[in-house]
Amino acid sequence: MSNRLFRRIAGGLAFVSLGLCLAAPVVFFLGRISEGTYKRAFLLSSIAWFVLATARTMAVRDGPSGG
Amino acid sequence: MSSRWTRLTAAMDRLYEFDREPVTPDKLQSGGKFAGLFAGEHVAATEFVIGAFFVLHGVGARDLLLGLLVGNFLAVLSWTFICAPIAVRTRLTLYWYLRRIAGPGVTLVYNIANAFLYCILAGAMISVSATAVGILFGIPVPGLDAVLPTSLGWVLITVALGAAFTTMAVLGFSKLSRFAEVASPWIFVVFIAGAVAMLPRLGVSPDLGNLWDVARARVWNGIAAAGQEKFGFWHVLFFAWSCNLAMHVGLSDMALFRYARKWTYGLFSAFGMYPGHMLAWISSGIMVAAIGREMHPGLMAYEAAGVAGIVGVLLAGWTTANPTLYRAGLALQTITPNWPRWKITLIAGGATTVLACFPVFFLKLLDYVAIYGLILMPVGAIVFAEHWVFPLLKIEQYRAEKRGWTFNMIALAVWLGTLAICFAMPLHLYFRWLPGWFIAMISYTALMAWRRVR
Repeated sequence: MSNRLFRRIAGGLAFVSLGLCLAAPVVFFLGRISEGTYKRAFLLSSIAWFVLATARTMAVRDGPSGG
Repeated sequence: MSSRWTRLTAAMDRLYEFDREPVTPDKLQSGGKFAGLFAGEHVAATEFVIGAFFVLHGVGARDLLLGLLVGNFLAVLSWTFICAPIAVRTRLTLYWYLRRIAGPGVTLVYNIANAFLYCILAGAMISVSATAVGILFGIPVPGLDAVLPTSLGWVLITVALGAAFTTMAVLGFSKLSRFAEVASPWIFVVFIAGAVAMLPRLGVSPDLGNLWDVARARVWNGIAAAGQEKFGFWHVLFFAWSCNLAMHVGLSDMALFRYARKWTYGLFSAFGMYPGHMLAWISSGIMVAAIGREMHPGLMAYEAAGVAGIVGVLLAGWTTANPTLYRAGLALQTITPNWPRWKITLIAGGATTVLACFPVFFLKLLDYVAIYGLILMPVGAIVFAEHWVFPLLKIEQYRAEKRGWTFNMIALAVWLGTLAICFAMPLHLYFRWLPGWFIAMISYTALMAWRRVR
């Protein structure tokens, strides 16, 4: 996978994770999920954000070349 | 004595040598960079405290919203019309421009003052992070009137965090800065998510029909907590305006805006003010109301977002204390010629850690932020006068540089005199800087004109 494609995928998924972080409390506020489910969903989405956003940042640092 | 000053100022110049020359056109940055920079920089650990304190100070909902809207707008205008135009015309940092105006001696004094103020600020950030880690060990947070450390547990946790933050700052400032870029959007999300998740606890219905009523009755209800001064619209407005006084009116952000293509890039500061100093403050206000108005940032975030909330407070403290420690180290390095960066960062971190043990700095954060801006504000007024007013009145500019003065004694006297007048003013602390700025600007112009005549 080329570096550029990896960056795009990691960046896209990172923003989806951040969106899920925001969506979880909204769904809880609307009464669709319990507080425990909201907090778990928020934690998991947060972990996903950090993994993907860090991976994207590192890929940017490594430069445009790749295989 | 004179040779000592010369040695100190020469050492200081070497430290800042890399940005001595004006920024060249090929190094100018796009507006998007400025938007991102401001958005990241103004969502810090202190936002958990400031927004919560507005609730404890009994601000009404309408006063809060209007005060934040107008105050942040004035802050954006200050960046746009005061800081950015001077930075774009000179393409210099405040350090080098002040050196031309006030001489290297005054610049050295400014640097040392700045270093101490940075250490206190970083200390407050460590204290805020300590409230989050303390939850894991059941360590109580000091009460609102606490000045000294209230328990051994509090001291241990702040020392441990201070040591960890300092070690990481020593080991890799640049890597941490990159990590901060990843963390900052998420930290902002923690604020918003925390506030939304706390709404049901405050009784807000899913259709938001009673949101305004709840905001007025249960969050910003206009009743100050015991022992807290009552705040109104003007307090909020002036606090929001002057929260970054040292950066805009005080001109510290010349370091940033010298890379701007146009002075209008000052408007990009709105990307920091409205998400960080409006939405984040509102969010922390909602969170503190939902936990029964207890000033406990860690508990606020934990109740609102669980374990991720604790991590959020910890990271908010860490990622913002890190550059603050770096800046303090850089400023302090001026008085310790030939010391390596790691050693001075270690000393700045040690001092910061000791300060972090004293809860007064985060429990009186609003006053501290106002004092911080007030102390550095006269320097901005002096530079403003020399840059804009002197040419209008045909007063010779940059006399300190042309005549080789180590100290422009008039600049030093105006700085100290303005502070003395400000501290004696019969006004609320948040309001004093504005008349103080005019006093500094007019008196510096008048005294320099008088010196010319004499």
